[in-house]
Amino acid sequence: MANSASGMAVNDDCKLKFLELKAKRNYRFIVFKIDEKIQQVMVERLGNPEESYEDFTACLPANECRYAVFDFDFTTDENCQKSKIFFIAWSPDTSKVRSKMLYASSKDRFKRELDGIQVELQATDPSEMSMDIIKGRAI
Amino acid sequence: MYGGDEVSAIVIDLGSHTCKAGYAGEDAPKAVFPSVVGSIDQMEVDDAVKSERDSGTAPDSKNIVKTFDSDKTKTKRKLYVGSQALGYRRDHMEVLSPLKDGVVVDWDIVDNIWDHAFRERLLIDPKEHPMLLAEPSSNSPQQRERTAELMFEKYKVPALFLAKNAVLTSFASGRATALVVDSGGGSTTVAPVHDGYVLQKAVATSPIGGEFLTECMMKSLESKGITIKPRFSFKRKEIRQGEFQIVDLDFPNTTESYKLYSQRVIVSDIKECVCRAPDALYDETAYANVPMTSYELPDGQTLEIGADRFKIPDVLFNPSLIQIIPGMESFSESNPTIRGLPQMVIESINKCDVDIRRELFSSILLAGGTASMQQLKERLEKDLLEESPQAARVKVLASGNTTERRFSVWIGGSILASLGSFQQMWFSKAEYEEHGVSYIQRKCP
Repeated sequence: MANSASGMAVNDDCKLKFLELKAKRNYRFIVFKIDEKIQQVMVERLGNPEESYEDFTACLPANECRYAVFDFDFTTDENCQKSKIFFIAWSPDTSKVRSKMLYASSKDRFKRELDGIQVELQATDPSEMSMDIIKGRAI
Repeated sequence: MYGGDEVSAIVIDLGSHTCKAGYAGEDAPKAVFPSVVGSIDQMEVDDAVKSERDSGTAPDSKNIVKTFDSDKTKTKRKLYVGSQALGYRRDHMEVLSPLKDGVVVDWDIVDNIWDHAFRERLLIDPKEHPMLLAEPSSNSPQQRERTAELMFEKYKVPALFLAKNAVLTSFASGRATALVVDSGGGSTTVAPVHDGYVLQKAVATSPIGGEFLTECMMKSLESKGITIKPRFSFKRKEIRQGEFQIVDLDFPNTTESYKLYSQRVIVSDIKECVCRAPDALYDETAYANVPMTSYELPDGQTLEIGADRFKIPDVLFNPSLIQIIPGMESFSESNPTIRGLPQMVIESINKCDVDIRRELFSSILLAGGTASMQQLKERLEKDLLEESPQAARVKVLASGNTTERRFSVWIGGSILASLGSFQQMWFSKAEYEEHGVSYIQRKCP
């Protein structure tokens, strides 16, 4: 596990809330944030099951990095109701290099803590995580 | 575990052309100097002096330890490191590089370069600072152990970390997965990074880098009858205001390698000033009538450069062009397998797992000095769009800021080493003493 990683710890709450999203479907999405002072990944915001993808993207700051998990519901060509859990590493081009470095180097470790991610995405601007791309990756 | 939060770490990126060194946490490296060194064999010159010293003043030898440290190893020579020391011409001084194809071949020179960085440029005591070194993506385990040994045994550093170039660049752009195209001085490397690990099997390298292009430019100029006068070989006198006279100086003891080095410094500046990647495949006839750009050489001669502005950089994309550069024909015969940049990118991606290809195509990162060439990003993107599978979304990214592009590896290292949480990741002196040098492979895979 010791690769060129930052050594960032993960707050237990992240795992718990993720489990709730996965098993009980209590949340539509979770946004995670790194708190450098305590050197931990924390839960920043929880989204209710009714909230939409737009509500979710609105929660991502334009100039700062975040991690996020989104539970995506869709219907397949065969009219089958399905859902997939997306992991999104949000790292906008306009954010500070330090913040990009922090999130990129902590990602691998963090992702391992969340068991059950089905699709992974890294996005540096909103077009890289548009609805079309999400749909394309889900199917 | 190493808990030295208060003392800032030192970050060193020893490239094939320039060595970048500085304090972790800063935005740019403090010391940037050539990776080549000047060397004068001391055999014949000071043999007499040396034997005298050895016999007479043994207790004083501490003062001269630094000079003779390098002499202890096989050859007796004195090395000159740094832009200033190299800028000054000396009789019989050869110019040597410690690296060949990105791999260290002369540890004595590397040792001298580190020493120069620590003691003359950064003015620090290596005993007090953890060191983060950037290493080429395909560094061998033996090379890494050697590095660790030298750092712990000779410099007595408290902690060490080796990070891969490509990983640092990738992280600094906010991506844990990316295809890093690093075109530096001595070579070009295409390395896929996935979740912070370099996929070694898919790494592609080619010897065409900035220095090779400089060489092509020089040969091309020579074929047109232009000789580049090294800066040391003449004096410029102002005879009247604004009017200069050139007086040639003659130094018969100058080595060929030093002359070449000084010429390259000039040609490389010409290259950086005038060259730009052509929008499409270079075509002799289409570029026959491009407007000339002028460049004034240090001796006052003015050059007019036309098609070469585009032809030379196109070698990166289309190495078969080398055959039509006068004086370079032999190169392509001895290296028939060299591919252009777009082919290297596609081959490298195709060697990776199908699942991550799409992601790699959409995050191709440019790094290194040569990749900062004007229009190179646009051209690469265009070529890749034509040659990649249709479904792929090709995106070539480069930092808009040239400093960031040139130093992306160093900057990545600088941030990583300054993160509070990273402090537990170091390979510490205690661990080195307990587990031995091979532990580096586990701590920094």
